[in-house]
This record gives sequence, structure tokens and C-alpha cells, in this order.
Amino acid sequence: MHISEGILTWPVLASGAAFAIAGTGIGLKKLKTEDIPKTAILSAAFFVASLIHVPIGPSSVHLILNGIVGILLGWAAFPAIMVALSLQALFFQYGGITTLGVNTMLMALPAVLCHFFFHPLILRNNQFLSLAAGFSGGAFSVFLSGILMAAFLVFAQREFLEVSLLVIGVHIPVMIIEGIITMFCIGFLKKVQPSLMGG
Amino acid sequence: MADPSSTDPIIELTGISYSYPKEQPVLKNLDFELRKGERIGLLAPNGSGKTTLFHVIMGLLPVSEGSIRIFGRKIETEKDFVWVRRKIGLLFQDADDQLFSPTVLDDVAFGPLNMGKTKKEALSISRRVLSFLGLSSFEDRITFKLSGGEKKLVSLATVLSMDPEVLLLDEPLNGLDNNTRIKLISVLKTIDVSYIIISHDIDFLLESTDAIYTLNNGRIEKDTTVYVHSHDHAHMMGNVPHQHD
Amino acid sequence: MLQEPFSVGNSFLHRTDPRFRLVSALLYSIVVAVLYGFFSLIASAVFSLALVRAAGLDGKTVLKRLALVNGFVLLFLLILPLTAGGDIFFSIGFLHIYQPGVVLALQIALKSNAIIMAFIALVSTMNFSTLGHALNSLGLPHKFVFLFILTYRYIFVIEQEYKKIWRSIKIRGFSPKTTLHCYKTYAYMIGMIFVKASARAERVYRAMRCRGFNGSFYTLAEFPSSGKNWLFLFFMLFSTFLIILMELYFYG
Repeated sequence: MHISEGILTWPVLASGAAFAIAGTGIGLKKLKTEDIPKTAILSAAFFVASLIHVPIGPSSVHLILNGIVGILLGWAAFPAIMVALSLQALFFQYGGITTLGVNTMLMALPAVLCHFFFHPLILRNNQFLSLAAGFSGGAFSVFLSGILMAAFLVFAQREFLEVSLLVIGVHIPVMIIEGIITMFCIGFLKKVQPSLMGG
Repeated sequence: MADPSSTDPIIELTGISYSYPKEQPVLKNLDFELRKGERIGLLAPNGSGKTTLFHVIMGLLPVSEGSIRIFGRKIETEKDFVWVRRKIGLLFQDADDQLFSPTVLDDVAFGPLNMGKTKKEALSISRRVLSFLGLSSFEDRITFKLSGGEKKLVSLATVLSMDPEVLLLDEPLNGLDNNTRIKLISVLKTIDVSYIIISHDIDFLLESTDAIYTLNNGRIEKDTTVYVHSHDHAHMMGNVPHQHD
Repeated sequence: MLQEPFSVGNSFLHRTDPRFRLVSALLYSIVVAVLYGFFSLIASAVFSLALVRAAGLDGKTVLKRLALVNGFVLLFLLILPLTAGGDIFFSIGFLHIYQPGVVLALQIALKSNAIIMAFIALVSTMNFSTLGHALNSLGLPHKFVFLFILTYRYIFVIEQEYKKIWRSIKIRGFSPKTTLHCYKTYAYMIGMIFVKASARAERVYRAMRCRGFNGSFYTLAEFPSSGKNWLFLFFMLFSTFLIILMELYFYG
């Protein structure tokens, strides 16, 4: 999910970049040297997983997965997502240089918030609670990303209101699918390798 | 070559035990010795703890009991193991675990640079090792685009560039094509280091090692060196080529 | 999956120091991103096109890339003229096409494509290891560059693992449908990818420790200094400056 080059105005681009640099700085500072390979290889995994298309009715959507990124990586989600977006810009020309900050913000901020809100609940022994937190985390981060994207657009240009509403509308089915996938995925990881979630 | 038994052991493990969290111990009160010039094969079923043993020697897994002496020095702290890793080179089973840099040259130079060599020295060491392995033209190749066999040889180069005195080779022939296999065997014959090889390939072990040990119930059975022998046996479908575990 | 179709070539741009290319691409893109005047926008689109030509890239491949990334822009082209309000440009039945919307949509289309073309010509013409080395020598944090290089490296390994899992799922008769069972299968597959990735990460870190990894990160690449690089930078800055002047003169 990203905003393309050439759409936003400079105040939005500049503040997006400033916040993204700050977030990435915090993430890098908290990232211990011995955790670099883990963070990198998990973000490679997210990169691959987010190219998977899941069916929705007659069409299909690709996954965003910033909820799980946040749950597993915490603040390191900022550098991990910035790296992933740079690679997408480099290889597919999705996103871009001037929008790197804004796009990092709209994916990584929900991821980090998701970590703080839902990670403690997921670690609980209560299976229902942890699955519910998984669903909410996955759905919440996509929803918040959609809202942020719409907000950036409207801040840039009031005329983008209709496009923004459309963006939010499109994200609602994706949000539900991400919730379901995140929920099952968290259930799977808790059973198979709880250490991945620091539990 | 001097009689190996007359020299001091390079690797000396006494009463080593290791278990993964919440699991049965893999290594139990294990004793092992490797002397200078020795070339040992380790042949044992999967899950018997061979790779674990290598990782214990390198200090990648902390032992719960026992003592490790390398070149006569007692090894206890992470700092001691940093020293060990300059002396002993471990070739991982999966070359993709070992090669992480974008280009071959970057990867081969990584070890020497960590050992405090200058860029210039690291470059000349790396070029020398690559040329020794016949990989001179590989310098600028992208590591992940190499074939399985090429990856394995480059991994070996990354280990040799640290100039180790002992090599631990974990299933070095896994997934290799015949040419690379021949090349690897001839390299092992040329280099002047002691080594331990984990492999399931008896022919390979017979050709490149002096003794074959096995791991059983978490212990090295060095008294009962495996004797390779053949005998006739019969079963259904015995006329088609097959393997026995 | 990750291909670098533009990185192969021997044009003047391919040979220019990647650091100079990165810096000038960044400055140029920032300037184009804030333009409004059509004169300067058209000038920059033409200039970017000239850069693509100068890099000697295959026109078809570039067009395909542009078509793919213009999806988002298309949304604006379709919606803005109908919704922006203001002076009516013309009407078809009950549909009003608003002039400000048309202007805005065209500005976006020009900006977006000018920036992407410049990016293709200046940055996508580097192969990945060159870019990694360039980022490192431009002074980005070591941890970030290391993360960048490792992520890229292991995308290929993980893609292979993903394909293996996918094959084994398909062999057992799985077909994608909009059902809970299907989503669960996808979720477990993704979970499996993470489990394998974390085991891989543990082994990679061990292998790095075996080679004396202590947190330092080195790159060997050296960029030979050449007057041509400075000439290139000067040319890029001068062109960018001209575009700013046009904007100020015709629009500001």
C-alpha cells in the first residue's frame, strides 16, 4: 500500500519524511547488533509473503501484513518497513524516493501501535483472547494505514477527499481478510514457535 | 606426517553434555580428541547430534557440563571462543546460511576484515583463496545467483580465507554435482589442515579421512571405529540400485 | 522475482559514480515533486525522458513499468475532474468536468511520470550491490545498510522456500477460494514461512559469528574519482536549477 510520486504537496512529504526518519532512528537504536540478521530475514519473509495474492470473491488482493510485522518486530518495524519499501521502489518503482517517508509512516506507525496494543494480549494464555487480539491487530493496522493514507491525501489537497474516501472503502474488505489471516497466523506461531513472539 | 597420537590434541572435549531447551540431551558426557594431522569422518544417523557437536566446539551453543580445550587452552568465555573461531573453520551444511554478502569478494573478505586485516590485505587474501579454489573469475558474481556447487565452493573460500588450522565440514557433499564433488575431494587432499567431516557418504569418508567414528546415545564411539565391510544379503527388488540406512 | 532489467548497460549514466547519481536523483525528484506550472512540468518530463534515452534503456520495458505504476495516478485522473468543483470545463449530460480537477490530474500525471523516469534512469540502472555500497559510503547508518543488504539477499532464499511450501499445498489438492478454510491455509503457510525464516536467521547469525562478526560492517567497493562525475553532478544541478527558474518565472 503506497502513495505514488507526484501526488502529495511538500509540507506533507516533508513531515512524512521527518517522522519516518525519527521512527527509523528509534527502531535502529533499539535494534541490537545480534538481532540484525533476524530482523532482516523476517522482513525478507514479509516481503515475499506480501506478494502472495489471496482470493476475495472473483478477484484477489495481496496482503499487507503490517500488523504481524509490528507484533513480531516492535519498533524495528520502522527500519524493516523502510527497507522493504526502498526495495519495492528500486525493483518495481512502486512508491518512490520523495514518498518514501510518507509511505513508511503509513505502514510502520500502525505496525508499532499494533505492537503496543495487541502484543501483550497475544502473549496471554487465554486462547480466545489471544486470537481475538490477533484478529484485531491485523484488522486495526490495515484500517489505520488506510485512514493515514486518506489523511495524507486530504492534507495535501482538499480536492482529494473523494479519492480518500474510496481508498478507505477499498481497505475495508482487505482489513477483514488481514484480520482473519493474522489471527490464524498468530495461533499457528503460538503453537509452533512461541519464542518468535518473545513469549 | 608425524604419528598423530604423539602430538598434543588440538581439540579436547571432556564430559560434554548438551540439550536443547525442554528436550532430551543430545550430547551426554561426550569425550573426544582431535590431534594435529588427523582426518576424521563422523558417520551417524540424522538427529544424533553431529551438527550440535560442531556448534558446541565453535561456542555457538553453550554446554551445560564438561570442558573444552583447544590447542591446550581451556575455553570458557565468549572471548575465548572468538579466539577459537580464528583457529577452527566451520563449513555449514547449507551454503545459503554462510553467504550473506551481495558479491563473492565481499563475502570472502568478511572474515579477514573482522580479524583486523586492512582492506588491502583482506583483498589479497581473498583473491589468493579464490584462485586456489579455481574461482578467480567469480569475484564480482552475485552470491545468490551461483549454482549449488558454486555456492559450496565459495562458502569454503569464506572459511579458508581466515586461514584456519582445523576444518569442521558439515555434510560438505550435500546436493553437489559430480564435478564439484571431485574438486572438493582434491582440495581436501591438498590443504594442510586437520579436519572432521560429517557425511553419510561412506566412499567419500573412506577416500578423504583416516578414521570413521560414530555418535551413539550422545557419545562418540571412538573405541569401536566403524569398519566398512560388505556382505551378501537378499531381499525383494534387490536387483535395482538401492541404499540402506 | 526481483529483477534488475535496467542495471545492465554501458551508457554514460551506468558508468557514473552511483553516489552522484543517487544524490542528483534525490534533489531533482524533490524539486519536481513541488512544481505546479505546466511549463516547468513539461520541461521536467522531457528532461526525464531524455535521461531514460541517455541510459539507453529498452523503451518497451520502461513503458511496461510506467503502465504498472500509473494505476494509482489513473484513479486521480478519473475521479478528480468529476469531483474537484470550481469552474466547469465542459459537461456531458449530467456529468460536469471541472477545470481545476483536470489541471490537478494532469499535474499529477506529469510529476509522477517525470520522477519515476528519472528514478529509472539514475537509480534503477545500478545493480543492488553497487547501491548498497553507495548508501554505505554516503554515510547512512551501518545498521540500516546492513539490514538493507541482508533483506535483499534472503528474499531469494525465502522465495524458494515459499515455492516449495506452495507446491506441497497444491499437490494436496488446495485451490484458492473465498472460504475460511482457504484463509486458514494461507495463514498457516505464512506462519510456516516465518518459522523457517527465523530458523534461517539463527543459522546465518551463527555463521557470521564463526567468521568473527562483531557488529562491524565493511564494504570493499571503492569508487574511483573522476572529473566526469563532477561534470555530471554540475549538469544535473544546473538542469534542476533551470527548472526552478521556469517555475518561478511562469508560475511563481
